[in-house]
Amino acid sequence: MTTDAKTHGIDISSLQRADRNLSLDTETTTLQVKDLRLAYGEKEALHGINMDIPKKRVTAFIGPSGCGKSTLLRCFNRMNDLVDGCNISGQILLDGNNIYDRAVEVADLRRRVGMVFQKPNPFPKSIYENVAYGLRIQGINKKREIDETVEWALKSAALWDEVKDRLHESALGMSGGQQQRLVIARTIAVKPEVLLLDEPASALDPISTLKIEELIHELKNDFTIVIVTHNMQQAARVSDYTAFMYMGDLIEFGVTDTLFTNPEKKQTEDYITGRYG
Amino acid sequence: MKVSFSEWAKSGSPWVWLNAGAVAISIIMVVGLLLLIASRGLVHFWPADILQATYSQNNHSIRIIGETVDSERVPATQLRDAGVDVPEGVEEMRRDLMKIGNRDVGGTDFTWVLHDNLSNQQYPEMLFAAERHEWGNFYGYLRALKEGDTVVGQYDGYDKTPEYLALWDKFEASIERAQEIHDSIYQIEKHEIGAINYEIERLRLKQRSLELDGSTDAAAFAEIDARRAELGEEYKVLQDELIDLYGQINRDKIVAEVSGGQTIEIDIAKIVRAFRPNDMGIFAKLGHYGSKLWEFVSDEPREANTEGGIFPAIFGTVLMVIIMSVLVTPFGVIAAVYLREYAKQGFTTRLIRIAVNNLAGVPSIVYGVFGLGFFVYFLGGNIDRLFYPEALPSPTFGTGGLMWASITLALLTVPVVIVATEEGLTRIPRAIREGSLALGATKAETLWKVVLPMASPAMMTGVILAIARAAGEVAPLMLVGVVKLAPNLPLDGNYPFLHLDQKFMHLGFHIYDVGFQSPNVEAARPLVYATALLLVAVIALLNISAVQIRNHLREKYKALEM
Repeated sequence: MTTDAKTHGIDISSLQRADRNLSLDTETTTLQVKDLRLAYGEKEALHGINMDIPKKRVTAFIGPSGCGKSTLLRCFNRMNDLVDGCNISGQILLDGNNIYDRAVEVADLRRRVGMVFQKPNPFPKSIYENVAYGLRIQGINKKREIDETVEWALKSAALWDEVKDRLHESALGMSGGQQQRLVIARTIAVKPEVLLLDEPASALDPISTLKIEELIHELKNDFTIVIVTHNMQQAARVSDYTAFMYMGDLIEFGVTDTLFTNPEKKQTEDYITGRYG
Repeated sequence: MKVSFSEWAKSGSPWVWLNAGAVAISIIMVVGLLLLIASRGLVHFWPADILQATYSQNNHSIRIIGETVDSERVPATQLRDAGVDVPEGVEEMRRDLMKIGNRDVGGTDFTWVLHDNLSNQQYPEMLFAAERHEWGNFYGYLRALKEGDTVVGQYDGYDKTPEYLALWDKFEASIERAQEIHDSIYQIEKHEIGAINYEIERLRLKQRSLELDGSTDAAAFAEIDARRAELGEEYKVLQDELIDLYGQINRDKIVAEVSGGQTIEIDIAKIVRAFRPNDMGIFAKLGHYGSKLWEFVSDEPREANTEGGIFPAIFGTVLMVIIMSVLVTPFGVIAAVYLREYAKQGFTTRLIRIAVNNLAGVPSIVYGVFGLGFFVYFLGGNIDRLFYPEALPSPTFGTGGLMWASITLALLTVPVVIVATEEGLTRIPRAIREGSLALGATKAETLWKVVLPMASPAMMTGVILAIARAAGEVAPLMLVGVVKLAPNLPLDGNYPFLHLDQKFMHLGFHIYDVGFQSPNVEAARPLVYATALLLVAVIALLNISAVQIRNHLREKYKALEM
């Protein structure tokens, strides 16, 4: 990164937000991570993470490539279960219940904790069917109910006006940014509690990125959002809280403004001023 | 400018030339093959002119009438050895193969003649050819037409006169009349009486099974007897109708003069069509050609498969391939899904994959032997004992049939479907699967709703390869259900409509049978080419339709650019 050390390369004006009295101590916790360790085979990727993710706020994970931020995110809806040789110890509590408990149905968990991936991955179906997919999986078959939810989800994802006339055309004909918003609509259609965004804008052009960021801003009224991003300006713009991770450890976690302007740890400062990463 | 060889080699052009050359040779060979079988096969249906000539050999002259179908050059010494008078100084002579027909008169319908010994060659317009239900073609002059014993028309000359043409018109009208009666007889014998026979046989089996069960239900037996009596009545009515029709069809006869000069009588009922090729214009010939071609693809075979059509063979081939596809697709797909999606990848799965790949290389006759031993004798025999005891000792499924042939070929082609489907499954982007799972879908739901539809083009590729392999396969079929002449189509109007236990005809076997097992090799040869062409066309058609389906699926489930 070729950032100016003085301003940290961040547009300060974007940090001006209405809600300035943020503090982790006064938040309700949605996801509580307790001593989470994760190993791929012999290699440990997360070395005991402890953190509380606040409800209906945007929490950003930043850190250099390979620091474990995506891995941690994928722990929240047990996507790592799909990886062979992946060992997890510790707990993640969703509203007080351990999601790694034997009694937990993974499919139910994933419905409550939705996820959007780095590259848009719409199904090769129509726009309508993409959004209705999660509903149909849940066994909802009433056309009116599905119609209403699809419309609501597309409106919430700020996509309705663009696609309302071609709901039954293939989703693959949309632009990358539209596809990513469609994927977000698809995810919120099943009304999850938590929305996990894994670098949702990294494959998109600046305009589409801006739209996604605006969308995140809107969505935090209804959902707890956790976003992984490589782009520190983006983290600064969209998040309320930011966690900095390095080499499988959580280094610093706090209010975004504070973390970017006055980091407590040397490592955090080095990273956001571009000394490594 | 002079370019050194090493520079030329480095430029890569030799490589390009080599590749292009290989492609060109392949194309030339395929096109050449198709042209050869097309030219040999399609010429057969053209109404060739009938030659009349005087043939003299060893101071003996005869009149010869027939079509020239082939000619070749033979060394004079060979002819001298055979006792033929060949003038001194001649090294080689041309001899022609003539189709002289009239097997009922002369015994053979082909003969070789020395071209130089033919004199006074002409193509009289009045010569006619008649295709017959038996004894092959007839060539000669029409002399008289008889209805019963009364002569309704007569002509003795060799010229085209109005008198002759009037006789010819009557002759054609008479053929048409006979043809109509023939069609009604066919309809009654094949369909109406066939249906009655079928039901009587079912009644017999029903009665037999009641007897085997030791049933004492008198009412049931009485019901069967009553129904049988009813059918007997129906049969009698049809029988009377048939006797009447046979009386009518045999009314007309013609008197015709053959090449030897004598006259013979021919029943008009035996004649399929009569025509005078020497008197036909190009359009008349084209029309005749078209109708012959249509007969070939739409009609049943006559005369030990050397005449008529091959529709039952086309039908059997297509039906068997379709049943095979219906069997092989789910089986191969399920196996591939387990192997790729559920089985723990490791030594065992690798071993299974190697085994599956090698299975594709097993010679097909081995599958035939396996099908005969396992499916026909073991499975079929047991099915008969369990479900069809009333028909024993005559086998129902305990003998080769459509079902066993289809299953044997399905087994033969299942490896290609497995391999192609597995390939398709591996190519589905991980992101798509995760997208579905992240929405709360289980693995099975993801598989059914997203992965399998997206892999369907790959499955179709597997099916296309399976069809291509199965449609051309003959060897295993000879053991498990193909016959040279099947009396009925395996799909008809009698319940349960699709008769999987029946034997059937197949184009590939038909080629073998007509070409190598036929009593009349000369007559059969062009049909071998025509049938081969048709087999290629049928396989191409099956493949093209499968490719169309695949393209449609590809368009629908276009994979993402990931």
